[in-house]
Amino acid sequence: MTFRVVIAGVGGQGVLVAARVLGSAARYADFDARVGQLHGMAQRGGSVEGTVVIGRGSTAFIGPGDADVVLGLEPLETQRALPRMSDRTEVLMNERPVALATLTQRGVEYPELGTILQRVRGVTERVHTLDARSIAERAGSPRTLNVVMLGLLAGLDFLPFVENALARAVDAQSPERLVDINRRAYQLGRESAAGTRGVAGS
Amino acid sequence: MGEVSVDNKSDEKSRSERPVDPLIVDREGHAAFILGNEAIVRGALEAGVAFACGYPGTPSSEITDTFARLAPQLGITFEYSINEKIALEMAFAASLAGARSIVAMKHLGLMYAGDPLATIPYIGTVGGMVIVSAGDPSCMTSPNEQDQRPVASMLHIPVLDPGTAQEALELTRFAFELSERSHLPVILRPTTRVCHTRAEVTFGQMRKREVRGFTRDPSHLVPIPAHARKLRAEVDERLEIARDELRRSGFLRRSGNAKTMIVAAGVPAAVCADILREQDCDDSVSLLRLGAPFPLPESWLVEELQRVDRVLVVEELLPFVEDTVLRLCAQNALRVDVFGKRTGHLPTRYEYTPELIGAAMHDALGIDYAPATPTEHVPTPVRAPTLCAACPHRGAFFAARAAFGNDVLFFNDIGCYTLGFGEPLDSADALLSMGAGFTLAAGVSRTTGQKTVGFMGDSTFFHSGMPALLNAIKEGVDMVAVIMDNEVTAMTGFQESPSAEIEKGRIQRRVDLAGVVRALGAERVEVVDPNDLAVTVAAFRKARETEGLSVIITERPCPVFTQRIGDAAVMEEPCQSVEAKAATTYTIDHDLCQHCGRQACGHRCGQSATHAFEQAMARARSLENGVPVAPVEVAPCASACPLFLCVQGYAAHIASGDYAAALELIMAGLPLPSSVCRVCHRPCEVACVRADQDEPVAINDLKRFVVDWADAQEEFPYAPTLEPEHGRHVAVVGAGPCGLAAAHELRLRGYAVTVYDSDAEPGGLLLTGVPRYRLPLDVLRRDVARIRATGVEFVGERRLGGDLHLDELVEQHDAVLLAIGTSRSRSLELDGPDGSEGPELVDALAYLRSSRGSGAATGRHVVVIGGGNSAIDSARTALRSGAERVVIACLESRAELPAIRSEIAEAAQEGIEIRTRVCAVRRTADGIELVGVEPRVEGRFDPDNFQPVAGTENVVPADQVIVAIGQTVDRAAFGNGNTLDWHDGRLAVDSTTLATPRRGVFASGDLAPGDGTVTGAIATGLRAAWGIDRAMRGNDAADRRPPPPPARASAGSVRPGVERIDRAGRQRPPELDEAARRSSFDEVTGTLDEASARAEAARCMICGACGNCRSCIDLFGCPAFFVDGNKPQISEDLCVACGVCAQFCPNGAIKPVEVEA
Repeated sequence: MTFRVVIAGVGGQGVLVAARVLGSAARYADFDARVGQLHGMAQRGGSVEGTVVIGRGSTAFIGPGDADVVLGLEPLETQRALPRMSDRTEVLMNERPVALATLTQRGVEYPELGTILQRVRGVTERVHTLDARSIAERAGSPRTLNVVMLGLLAGLDFLPFVENALARAVDAQSPERLVDINRRAYQLGRESAAGTRGVAGS
Repeated sequence: MGEVSVDNKSDEKSRSERPVDPLIVDREGHAAFILGNEAIVRGALEAGVAFACGYPGTPSSEITDTFARLAPQLGITFEYSINEKIALEMAFAASLAGARSIVAMKHLGLMYAGDPLATIPYIGTVGGMVIVSAGDPSCMTSPNEQDQRPVASMLHIPVLDPGTAQEALELTRFAFELSERSHLPVILRPTTRVCHTRAEVTFGQMRKREVRGFTRDPSHLVPIPAHARKLRAEVDERLEIARDELRRSGFLRRSGNAKTMIVAAGVPAAVCADILREQDCDDSVSLLRLGAPFPLPESWLVEELQRVDRVLVVEELLPFVEDTVLRLCAQNALRVDVFGKRTGHLPTRYEYTPELIGAAMHDALGIDYAPATPTEHVPTPVRAPTLCAACPHRGAFFAARAAFGNDVLFFNDIGCYTLGFGEPLDSADALLSMGAGFTLAAGVSRTTGQKTVGFMGDSTFFHSGMPALLNAIKEGVDMVAVIMDNEVTAMTGFQESPSAEIEKGRIQRRVDLAGVVRALGAERVEVVDPNDLAVTVAAFRKARETEGLSVIITERPCPVFTQRIGDAAVMEEPCQSVEAKAATTYTIDHDLCQHCGRQACGHRCGQSATHAFEQAMARARSLENGVPVAPVEVAPCASACPLFLCVQGYAAHIASGDYAAALELIMAGLPLPSSVCRVCHRPCEVACVRADQDEPVAINDLKRFVVDWADAQEEFPYAPTLEPEHGRHVAVVGAGPCGLAAAHELRLRGYAVTVYDSDAEPGGLLLTGVPRYRLPLDVLRRDVARIRATGVEFVGERRLGGDLHLDELVEQHDAVLLAIGTSRSRSLELDGPDGSEGPELVDALAYLRSSRGSGAATGRHVVVIGGGNSAIDSARTALRSGAERVVIACLESRAELPAIRSEIAEAAQEGIEIRTRVCAVRRTADGIELVGVEPRVEGRFDPDNFQPVAGTENVVPADQVIVAIGQTVDRAAFGNGNTLDWHDGRLAVDSTTLATPRRGVFASGDLAPGDGTVTGAIATGLRAAWGIDRAMRGNDAADRRPPPPPARASAGSVRPGVERIDRAGRQRPPELDEAARRSSFDEVTGTLDEASARAEAARCMICGACGNCRSCIDLFGCPAFFVDGNKPQISEDLCVACGVCAQFCPNGAIKPVEVEA
């Protein structure tokens, strides 16, 4: 069994941290795992992608149609991961866009959220959206958005291992002063899973 | 979470224990989840490395970063070296000193270190020496994807290719052994996928560091030619040792025993293993994994090849192993089919994905590999990386653009500042390699003789910019060298720079950058805070004005880094010009943002900001000096224009090449554009703020360019929108410019309109009073045709007071607009000689009318009396009609002449003599006697204010005298009824609506108060149409199209304090040559060509507030800005209150706000 997760987002959203946490979680659960990262200029607001491949193997490549889960921290970046989706891909998407001036300068419009959703649903009906940003703010910091999304992933129960491995990994990878806030974000994300189920496919 | 845990604490340990770095757990068999780069460090530690150094570069940076973190606690000597050459030499020196050493860099750095690299194999290493040169297939973060293996083989250096993190550890550990046994340095060549993949890695035992010390051995260590020749032979021996070591190493290993074999190296080897396992091909296909592509033990490889009949070679980039395989097969006459790049099954460029390798395995070997069917491609906008919010480089680039405009070439370098590439900062005309920013700038400047600008960061300057700068100083190059000192190597992950180091959580200055630059011999060195735009722009401007080499150091620490190290002190040191020091974010006041000054008069255009328009506007604004200026409500040119045309709008459209949009702005306020752009008196150009610097923008020529462009199109690219007809009918008397404009405007408002004129053809003064060399007949007819095409009915040869009666018109129409012009010349009493001999006396209007613009009965010697446009027109018509000599005589001084400046200049150019401050006294038998005059009171011009100067009488020969001292309305046309009041030669009207006291009768043009110009008359026509509409349909309906507000000619005195830096001179349209002018009525002034028009339009300073402005977005490009429904907004999350945007916002709309913590 190989389980493949694409984590897509924008520099500063914590994509690589989320990927590392998920990779560690798999190891806690005694799974082999590899985490890949493409982050040429991650600090500078560009697209960032992390891949987590859980199971036997040597690399962290995720090929066309091969993603079991796409964890989209941003709508447009979720769309960018479309080629890796198939009809069995579970797509978890934060619906709050990060609109960049660099997009509008070129006269390129940021697509409507509905258009992005329609495109994703053209590939898979298994779409779960939530306003992770608001939840992160509720947890105490918008910067916990990545943890909210991990919580959602746990809550939807798509992972091939027990959920508390992920909770433990979040704890272990949190700097001391952020442990509580991350726990809160994780929990809120996890609880919101019930809400997103209804959204799926609608 | 969001924040990366800096100390990477072990997740295996309880939080309360003293953290042990997971990389230094000294337990064999311990497994850790680490990056490939960290595995390399662990491998080195297990080999007992004692010296580590390098220069950061993606994807190798985590290697040096990890050593930087661990070295102090492990007693390893570490440094971030100044550059790769120095790093390599340092590592070699450590090897000579008997220590195991490692040096890390990216593939590009290996070439920079090429000089020492080539000789090290001759001298030979002592302690094991490993060179990590991380490769980057697909150029993910690099300008090229060079394959280091041919370089290594050329220099006799073994190469190891890890494919996984585990291999990275093991090969690194082995590399030290290999180096020590062969006395050759060893290159470890991980690629991005290895460096940046985190995987479980099993550790070996750590080995004790050992420094054996330097042993003198000159015959080996000093490669003078005599020694080098002997050493050359030793190199081959060393390579043979390496081959042997590799054969026994276990890193060249085969799995399987089939007749079909895959030979693979690096990441592709790992991918092949995965695919073979997944496809259950382990038995049918063997896999030969080469942990080292060079030097291959050839006899071993031949043995391997003898076992098979088909081979697929899978390696990224060049066919390096494949060619070795092919050669060995040929040399040994092996009957093996070799597939790979040479057979076209695999490419010689870019990274190999599993799909690509799987497809090759399928195509070459028939392995059952079905690639997934790709989903339909959805184009997703590229999210390009940008300079961070508050990045000091942004201010530096912005200031450079502001000072240099678009004319100077910018050469950029490798680092964060590379992101100055592209819109909006557009600060990279070329880019090559570390340090080349200055050399490219210098080389281009020396070759073209034009000043250039080179940019680089502090770390890059120390890396290789110093010699480049010294070279430029030595040659006295005319360039500006900009060192952007943010005190850190930010791009690769905030490594320290020689200009600063971190001590106790604070940035400490170390090397005095400005001191170094001065010591190199630079004479003009300025150090500025790039977040202080005024100071920075001033520095760039000074550099621009100064010939020779100037150095500008923009100094401000990287805010992301200072935030990260918690150096609060630095962040609390705001630059001078940021007003609110306590601000934690900025916001946009949307009452001011995108505020159009014309909006108050209902004249805001309906155009949205096109990208091209914004580029033009951004370009124009970027030429301002970056200092905040009070925005002007309405540009002075528009205020001075009787039609209130948005000049800056159409100028920006022309500059951007969008002529249709420019035409739309012109046509929206001017229904006779073709004629007006030839006869306008151009108050706009008098008001133009550009005049303060050099010459006003050629506004009229720009308008003409657009209109002539439009006329040349197959279909006129503008069609007005007409309101539906509502059954009301207006009579317009007079088909001059005023009457025609009013008729057109009334049509737009849904009125039926009939225009009456005494002439058979519409045009009025434009037809009968303006000579053809100014306004060709076909041009006028185009305007008229467009107006008539809207449905205006024209009835010619009807004269008010003749066969046309006001009372009847009032009866038959809902409203009447009187728009007849002046038709009577003021007469001049000039006594003639007895016997009524002497020159003929004609009045100018009659003369011009008889000419109908193209020639009239004219004497040999003509004197024209008067100084207005009629006088100039008469004189120039006389010249073209055969007069040998034409003299204009007028009371006014040259400066007081009311005629259009350019017309006066052209008349003088054509040889017409202009005598100012003279008065005609009497006719003589063969001429006219003039006397000099002087005003009784200086200042205001008044014909009755002059007194003759005795003794200045003289006679000018003349056989025809044309009197052009003004015109009046023919009041007789209005009958003797007392329904209209006259005041000062004009009808009394309501100054707002132009209604006469008689119900339903309106008056405009020469009948109403005005400036007597064509353009002014058109404005009154538009106003009268609005007045009629108000009376007919009420204010609400009428005010949907408000009239142009009264022109404010004094607007020119209110000029913004903007200093323009570009010095592009005014473009001039072509003119008919003088000889042709004397003999023909051909149009004198031509149209600007496209290039000139665009250049001229770019001179416009766009000094008025514009409702479509998005300068913050289009000029500055800060990622904290975003656009919401075309309105710029600032994201509270991303704004870190650097306040630079507020310094230049053209509308002063960006304000600091405090956000509660």
